Amino acid sequence: MLEGVEFLLHYNTTAPRPRSQPPLRKHVRKYWQLYVMAAIPFAAFLLFKYVPMFGNILAFRKFRAGASPFGVDWIGMKNFQRFLKDKSFWRAFTNTLITSSLNLLFNFPIPVIFALLLNELRSLKFKKLVQTVSYMPRFVSTIVMITMLNEILSPTSGSLNMILNSVFGIKPIYFVNVPAFFRPIYILTDMWQFTGWSAIIYLAAITGINSELYESAMIDGANRWQQTLYVTIPSILSTVMVMFILSVGRLLSVGFEKVLLLYSPENSIVSDVIDTFVYRYGITNNNYSYATAVGLFGGVIGVALVSSANFVSRRLTGDGLY
Amino acid sequence: MRDRSTGYRVFSAFNICLMLFVLFLCLYPFVYMLAISFSSAKAVINGWVSFYPKEFTLETYKLITSNAQFRIGYANTIFYTVGGTAIAMGLMCLMAYPLSKAFLRGRGILMKMVIFSMFFSGGMIPNLMLVIWLHLNNTVWAMLLPFAINQFNLIILINFFKSLPDSIEEAAVIDGMGYFGILWRIVLPLSTPALATIALYTAVFFWNDWFYSLIYMNSNERYSVMVYLRNIVSGQSMAGAAAGSGSSERMTVYATLRASSIILTSLPIIILYPFLQRFFVKGLTIGSVKG
Repeated sequence: MLEGVEFLLHYNTTAPRPRSQPPLRKHVRKYWQLYVMAAIPFAAFLLFKYVPMFGNILAFRKFRAGASPFGVDWIGMKNFQRFLKDKSFWRAFTNTLITSSLNLLFNFPIPVIFALLLNELRSLKFKKLVQTVSYMPRFVSTIVMITMLNEILSPTSGSLNMILNSVFGIKPIYFVNVPAFFRPIYILTDMWQFTGWSAIIYLAAITGINSELYESAMIDGANRWQQTLYVTIPSILSTVMVMFILSVGRLLSVGFEKVLLLYSPENSIVSDVIDTFVYRYGITNNNYSYATAVGLFGGVIGVALVSSANFVSRRLTGDGLY
Repeated sequence: MRDRSTGYRVFSAFNICLMLFVLFLCLYPFVYMLAISFSSAKAVINGWVSFYPKEFTLETYKLITSNAQFRIGYANTIFYTVGGTAIAMGLMCLMAYPLSKAFLRGRGILMKMVIFSMFFSGGMIPNLMLVIWLHLNNTVWAMLLPFAINQFNLIILINFFKSLPDSIEEAAVIDGMGYFGILWRIVLPLSTPALATIALYTAVFFWNDWFYSLIYMNSNERYSVMVYLRNIVSGQSMAGAAAGSGSSERMTVYATLRASSIILTSLPIIILYPFLQRFFVKGLTIGSVKG
């Protein structure tokens, strides 16, 4: 999800249109082909991105099978009142916040550190090799990753339990079923899958630093550590900030597919998150209207998070997404 | 930039060790899966397998590739990947090219709409409702259409088009070429690196998807191979295949079956990765050529 981040940083800087514009009719006559060209994909874009957005009114309406996807009768805030009183909803809500905050705490700084460490490798070939291998996990399907994890952590034949048993004499542990291991597993698998990939953007930022800065730092007698501290890190700070905003904005959207695959009744105390809650009520129990309300609640908080993170970032660094 | 102090040397040695460990961590799961998939059930159940196959056998591969459900799923996945990527590329090129023209009226608001939709989306249920409403559920179109326009990829493409020199297009306009012609004959041939990168991201998305296939489809004839893999993981679909063996042995047969299914479903990515990896990264840097 990092693609295009650089663009988000700069898209506002495109030159403003000249103030005196030719009349609209002339403009359209000249460029009508461009408008025609955009029409079909734009219709698809509206249909598949914006219609579902308005489809959220189902949260305030009653659903009837076979009728409109936007529901039939207004029921007001009934769904919201219901889930706000529901203890299992609040459990899912706090689980979401805890899991993703912990994930942010560990997996936000690690790619930055990884990029800085990669940058210190002197052999370019080795650097390229580590880089290439480290972002491969990003392209592995979640389901494949979880299956591999189950294999490695399996209490009967998994290599981790084998090692623990033969070296430390620890009895096999059914890791994926123990609630206490759910969050560590979530964070570590995220680390495995995304560290290399997330580091790319920071590496690109590091490569873009003007080498004269390092030269003058060296003339001033800065050693490698001081150069990192006073040149490299300040230079990549705006990129780091934008990535941080994006991550904060996604605090309420944990890696849903992964959680769903790791979910079991045994670990549900910690693994039930907003999205699995929506999935359970909506897809499994066909309680569409209620599930939409919960999903909408999460979505709105998500937008609020992104906007406030953006506001803070603008205040602090003068850089923001929009 | 060299630092020859002892402290830095110690750090460098430590750094290299750490990176070797990272390499090991990234590759080991695949090595382990390969090893299990080619081993006998007996070797796996006794915990003999950790790095390379023991009692080499192709049994599970034969079992899986002869499974009708696996074949259907695999064919579906190939179809969704090829079809979905083709449609997505077509639509995104047609949308990105006009949006790359700063002089176009209404461009600003369209860009804002694209960016807003990256932060607020319809959500799981409204998306499903839409698919049902359009009668796309349980048809291939439910996979091919809703994901066609990905905002991040679209923005990469817009930015790349913007970075192309205007002079060539201006010459073509003077020669009387229409914008469709310019896009097809001039812009797209110049954009192959960006197109390759985005096509790859899109293809990976379709190849890896299991969730949408699961909720938008409801027959075995339509599920992707990843849904099949998920069913094996939850032990739903291999009961027949492994029948006849003892219960604990059957569990291990499952383990070897899962391992070989993983290898087979990840095969395209594993094989193509070394050749395509340079394209995978391009998308991240392509966008920054020109603001």
